[in-house]
Amino acid sequence: MHTFILRRFFFLTFVLFGVSVLLFGILMTFSPERRAAAYVTTPQQAKDIPRIIKQFGLDDPFYIQYVRWIKEVSRGNLGWSLVAARPVGEAFWRYFPITLEMNLYAAPIVIFLGIWLGSISGIHRDSWIDHSTRIFAIIGWSLPTFLFALVLLMVFYGYFHLFSPGVLSDELAMSIINHPEQYTAYTGMLTIDGLLNGRPDIALNALHHLVLPITTYVIVVVALNMRVMRSGIIEELSKDYVLTARAKGADRRTIHYKHARRNALLPVITVAGQLVAMSMEGSIAVEVVYNRQGIGWWLAESATQLDMPVLMCICLFMGLVFVVTNLTIDILYATIDPRIRLN
Amino acid sequence: MTALLQTENLVTNFYTYEGVVRALNGISLVVDYGSTFGLVGESGCGKSVAVRSMMRIIQEPGRVEGGKVVVFFDPDNQQRGVDLLQQSEAYLEHLRGDQISMIFQEPNAALNPIMSIGDQVAESFLFHKRKEMCARVLEALRRPDGPSASPLGAFQRHLYARAARNPRDLLVTLTTKIPLLKHWQRRLKKEALRRSIEIIGKLGIPNPDKVVKLYPHNLSGGMKQRIVIAIALACSPLLLIADEATSNLDVTIQAQILDLLRSLKQTEIASILLITHDLGVVAETCDRVGVMYAGNLCEVADVGDLFHDPRHPYTRALLAAVPRFHQEGPLLSIEGAVPNLVDPPAGCRFHPRCPEARDICRRQFPETVDMGGDHTVACYLYTDQARAGDAP
Ligand SMILES: Nc1ncnc2c1ncn2[C@@H]1O[C@H](COP(=O)(O)OP(=O)(O)OP(=O)(O)O)[C@@H](O)[C@H]1O
Ligand code: SF4
Ligand SMILES: [Mg+2]
Repeated sequence: MHTFILRRFFFLTFVLFGVSVLLFGILMTFSPERRAAAYVTTPQQAKDIPRIIKQFGLDDPFYIQYVRWIKEVSRGNLGWSLVAARPVGEAFWRYFPITLEMNLYAAPIVIFLGIWLGSISGIHRDSWIDHSTRIFAIIGWSLPTFLFALVLLMVFYGYFHLFSPGVLSDELAMSIINHPEQYTAYTGMLTIDGLLNGRPDIALNALHHLVLPITTYVIVVVALNMRVMRSGIIEELSKDYVLTARAKGADRRTIHYKHARRNALLPVITVAGQLVAMSMEGSIAVEVVYNRQGIGWWLAESATQLDMPVLMCICLFMGLVFVVTNLTIDILYATIDPRIRLN
Repeated sequence: MTALLQTENLVTNFYTYEGVVRALNGISLVVDYGSTFGLVGESGCGKSVAVRSMMRIIQEPGRVEGGKVVVFFDPDNQQRGVDLLQQSEAYLEHLRGDQISMIFQEPNAALNPIMSIGDQVAESFLFHKRKEMCARVLEALRRPDGPSASPLGAFQRHLYARAARNPRDLLVTLTTKIPLLKHWQRRLKKEALRRSIEIIGKLGIPNPDKVVKLYPHNLSGGMKQRIVIAIALACSPLLLIADEATSNLDVTIQAQILDLLRSLKQTEIASILLITHDLGVVAETCDRVGVMYAGNLCEVADVGDLFHDPRHPYTRALLAAVPRFHQEGPLLSIEGAVPNLVDPPAGCRFHPRCPEARDICRRQFPETVDMGGDHTVACYLYTDQARAGDAP
């Protein structure tokens, strides 16, 4: 088991290396002038572009620039973000907790709700439970996230005034700004920091602001998870080992949950892992519509302004997330499936 | 003869998108105590459906829709049969694996790939022998050299005592469902594993204590089939149903498994219902044979009778298609194909392929005729109607 993890780990380091080379290669397709413009903040500096190219070696050969870049990156220097008006690294740690916070709540819901709905749907195939969950899934899956988020916002904010966009109410945000000595941002996640600072009102309010984004995200994403689980359960239930289990006197619960579901979980792990990894970029539509300044929002803003260092940073981050997710998926797979563990 | 299992007019249909598959069209047979009953017939004639209907483990979209499956648990009291089709699912769960067991055609698919061999065999004991095993564990706990009585130990002992009295005690059931608390069953599971090792060893598998820790993909096909047999035999059932248990194994392993079944019949189980394509296997192992065609039982007889004096045209064709040691003349094959059971031929389902078919065969289904000497045939060649001048 340990050698298995170690092997995967080495393999994934190589993957990460590949991703970084690829990313840098794409960046290199821009002319040195275009890249130099990233350092320019005022029109007056435009004449400095040739000097900037010289100073930063922007016309050096690929590998020299790559090594230089990697050195900087590993020291934590990712460049300057125009959008955030601060270094990319620092900006990242501002936006990342917002996204992570949503995922911390949304991911378990997506995973467990998907497994649960998919299981009952597959076990009670063609019953009304099955039909209604499938209709729910089809609607969720085919709705454009952006539109769906807007509709929910219109109904629950615009009409019922139940929830509002943003991450925190204005009064509470002002109270934090006005008394910075009373509030320490330990994690950057308001629901957690609120509790750590002894301010349950902040935590609750932040949670209240999370309801709509999480709902939107879960409804849109849970469908895929559910469908994989459902078809997995149906397939497993038709297999011969289920017949063996029935012939030895197993009751339905044992057959469904101990035999079929454990087998059907294998493909779900992959799908759920990928979904969680993908949502780490912050489900752009959700963050933009609900005005949550997380990674997704930052990515959208930076993309429209061609803020290259930010885009590079987010791509690299996504590469890292996928690598870590895949490692986790592999380990989970190996713990469930003995066929993988042993060879 | 004392019957163990008797089916009457068993009817099973599958409700598929293409239409209703009439897979079983009224099967009546009797498996006696102490006998081995062979069920033969071409692929797709409904042998598996027949035995699965008897155990009520037909898969979706199939439904057992008529007839009786009567089991006589007491060989001395032939009046007191239980019709399985009238019983609850819970009753059948108690019966399956305990009184009637089944082994399957494809050992590579018959075991759960992600569950250890030990766990899969132990399930049989955990389903059916809870009471005895709890009593045994309790005995060990009560021995003076047993574990000392901490409050937790006392609680554990209490649970075992209750389970030994009534395995479906409310408190016992509840505590098996609560995480952490359910670990009181550790000793019960150990006992089940001990019994699993014992039964696996009995079936001639070397190093049973190592094998229980393995997973199906670690074993060869023959080994897997032995494990499947171990699961079926764990609780010493009255009847073992072997659904082509040897078809997918190579010849030497096949012979070993058949030997194993034969010896088990002398020691562990009362009767065997053996499904096979292989008439050679039937001749070697069975006492009685039933021949199936397209969801019907055409002919039932003692094995010698059937081979020497086959009456049904299909049985004759089947026997003529078997290569013999002293083969004279060409090997005959049966013309035509097994009919589609969504729209089976009217009358006798064999008539499109029958060399002796006559008018009435196309119109009406033949009744089963007793030929004497426990030999029955469903064919118009032997009924009065047909003899009364309806010549081919
Ligand atoms: N799940 C199912 N859905 C629809 N039809 C089925 C199903 N299972 C069996 N059948 C039908 O029942 C008929 C009998 O099948 P069965 O498996 O009993 O044949 P068999 O005699 O056991 O054949 P084999 O020797 O190949 O195992 C088949 O013709 C098939 O069409
Ligand atoms: S009933 Fe008729 S068709 Fe059927 S087997 Fe007998 S002779 Fe042939
Ligand atoms: Mg079969």
